[in-house]
Amino acid sequence: MIVEISHFFSILSAGLFFLAFIFSTRTYQGNHNLELLVNRIFSYGFYFIFISFLLYVWLAIQSDFSIRYIAEHSNKDLPTFYKISSIWSAHEGSMFLWILFLAGWSQLFNYLLSKNDLLKAPAIGVLAFIIFGFLIFLLFTSNPFETILPIAPINGADINPVLQDPALVIHPPFLYLGYVGFVIAFAYNTAFLIKGDMQINWEDVIRPWSLAAWILLTIGISLGSWWAYYELGWGGYWFWDPVENVALMPWLAGTALIHSLYVSSKSKVLRGWTILLSISVFSLSLFGAFIVRSGIIDSVHAFANDPQRGLYLLAFSAVLITTSLIFYVYRLPQLISKNLVVAKSKESFLSINNILFAAAIFAVMLGVMYPLIFDYLYDKRISVGPPYYNTIFAPLTFLAAIFLVFSVGSLWQRTSKLLNFKSFLSMSILFAAAASICISYIYQDFQWWFVGALFSGLLILIRYFLLIVDSMIKKSYFNKPSAIAHIGFGVLILATALNASLSYEKIINIKPGEIYKDSDYEFYLIDFDLINEPNYDSVRAKFSVKNIYTPNKTFFMFPEKRKYFIRGQITSESAIKITPYKDIYMTLGDQLDNGYWVVNIQYNYLIRWIWIAAAIMGIGGFAALMERLKRK
Amino acid sequence: MNKIRKKRLVSVMTLIATSFLGVYLILSALNSNLDYFYTPSEIINAEIPNNKRVKLGGMVQMQSVIRDGTNISFNITDFSNSINVSYNGVVPDLFKEGSGIVAYGMIVDNRLIAENIFAKHDENYMPPNIKIPSE
Repeated sequence: MIVEISHFFSILSAGLFFLAFIFSTRTYQGNHNLELLVNRIFSYGFYFIFISFLLYVWLAIQSDFSIRYIAEHSNKDLPTFYKISSIWSAHEGSMFLWILFLAGWSQLFNYLLSKNDLLKAPAIGVLAFIIFGFLIFLLFTSNPFETILPIAPINGADINPVLQDPALVIHPPFLYLGYVGFVIAFAYNTAFLIKGDMQINWEDVIRPWSLAAWILLTIGISLGSWWAYYELGWGGYWFWDPVENVALMPWLAGTALIHSLYVSSKSKVLRGWTILLSISVFSLSLFGAFIVRSGIIDSVHAFANDPQRGLYLLAFSAVLITTSLIFYVYRLPQLISKNLVVAKSKESFLSINNILFAAAIFAVMLGVMYPLIFDYLYDKRISVGPPYYNTIFAPLTFLAAIFLVFSVGSLWQRTSKLLNFKSFLSMSILFAAAASICISYIYQDFQWWFVGALFSGLLILIRYFLLIVDSMIKKSYFNKPSAIAHIGFGVLILATALNASLSYEKIINIKPGEIYKDSDYEFYLIDFDLINEPNYDSVRAKFSVKNIYTPNKTFFMFPEKRKYFIRGQITSESAIKITPYKDIYMTLGDQLDNGYWVVNIQYNYLIRWIWIAAAIMGIGGFAALMERLKRK
Repeated sequence: MNKIRKKRLVSVMTLIATSFLGVYLILSALNSNLDYFYTPSEIINAEIPNNKRVKLGGMVQMQSVIRDGTNISFNITDFSNSINVSYNGVVPDLFKEGSGIVAYGMIVDNRLIAENIFAKHDENYMPPNIKIPSE
């Protein structure tokens, strides 16, 4: 019964959003009452989808297995926590959540934006159309409300054990919130292009929204990376998997957007480019949804293959993007600023980095699409591996870092004298060069990417250090949120490079009672425990580990292998010893006939700092958002 | 040509040249980092240059797994041909005889020296172009 109500409310919501869209097209004459009506209908559309989702959550908690989706992805014995998260563990439910967030962002925008805003009605119309389109997609091709009648199964099929994890409960929600958050920039700018009133300051309206979406996307991607590291047993934080790449592209475009918006709002140049970026970010989010949900690409993340879904998503995205682009091309002559970007001004450096970001997006897009093109042209299967992305991203990142540092002391709309001998920039370059050469000597690693990363990472940190010290002495203003976020970027460059250069692994054979000695550590395998949990059995090794230099401090590590009952799936649970400088990461392999076990020991240097860096960047973004909201 | 025009021409030319260079660099990086995917039958006839890494997909042949210390050796089969694979390390959890996997590495004397073994996070996964004969 409840499922029918939930289903009905979703249909009702789709109808309301359609109405809101139709009425919004009639608001051109500035009919204020009609605009209010549109806002009202839109709000009700959101309330109904929200209640529909709440009811669905209730059904999931109640383990109502008469609903096919819940029966196939949940289980009676799961903790409530995972019963709820099972909703977004597969296609239909996660699409439902995606749409809920889409409607949620839109409603928040509808609620917060002043009703006197000239673009409110058309922007709400665009949003209503997008939400309607996705609701139709949900209801007709991916219906989560489908029931199994007449007899419901007694127990569900369970959620994949690797997904039963706290980080994975919150990873998809954050990621989706980030993805769809960019819809506001897309819708508002599309409305701006439709209306064509060049006096409107769309930059100031969409900046906080884009910033908020960017922060959430940053958190979402980092959570996924962190989860993959400790759960999948490979010990890496990024695999250049196609689905990671389609999340990275909106992030790169979003990063470019928040910077470009800054330029446009400060000096009214690059407006055309900024609008194009805001269209691109949401288009790339849609592209991501298409790649993941059409099954067109082979990936660990991909949902089940269904060409019909892919086709609908492709067609709907094409309608949205082409409409927006047609208006864009139509208005472009008016958008192009008469003021040119002054050479060596702050805008010029930001523009260069915009180009670098565009190049990075192009490279990732090519890497994702090339296997498909190749298969089509030559009927041969290929894949594009991590070396490709590393070769491209390393130099682009270094260049971006250098131009970032150039932009720090430079001025808006004026040529800046940066490279005189006593400037902070010259000092930073000198210090960074000296320090990176020293560090390369210490680690005896002179590969170009390593030295380059050390130099560019240190350059950022030193430049901001000088900026902060200088501002504190002179008690002058500096952009604190920007400093925080960019320091995060510097830390990220250093941490990834040191991680790649220093990390190594050992594969060993060991049996209970034996000791394995490594260069710094002694691993003593005490014994194995057999553990019976409600939903799995587990073999758990007990290692006592000590550092040779500090033999008094021993610690224990418990790598284990689990066998889950319902799916019969075997998973490894790595044991991780975290230190500030490195992780010791131990994975249990198979047992051999002679009683020995295969064990993999990895030393992952500075890996924590990669996520810390992402967190710092997120905090910087948050500080910028707070500053903007306070000013309002 | 006046000065401003000349300056503009130079900057436009530089822009075009840089973007061509950029695209060229990206494409050449792409070209030298493509990994070809083969089935055992395809790889027997394929001419693969030395030092070129490939992906080999198929099913782990029954009773072919031999473990020796940290090494593991097994055959990947597509039910008409099979290729021997050796690997030093911990195999994925979903690796077992009869499961579909992809091995990544170099071919040396008709054997694949694997650097990585991938098993998809799906028990029923079978790499593309492999047809399981009906029993």
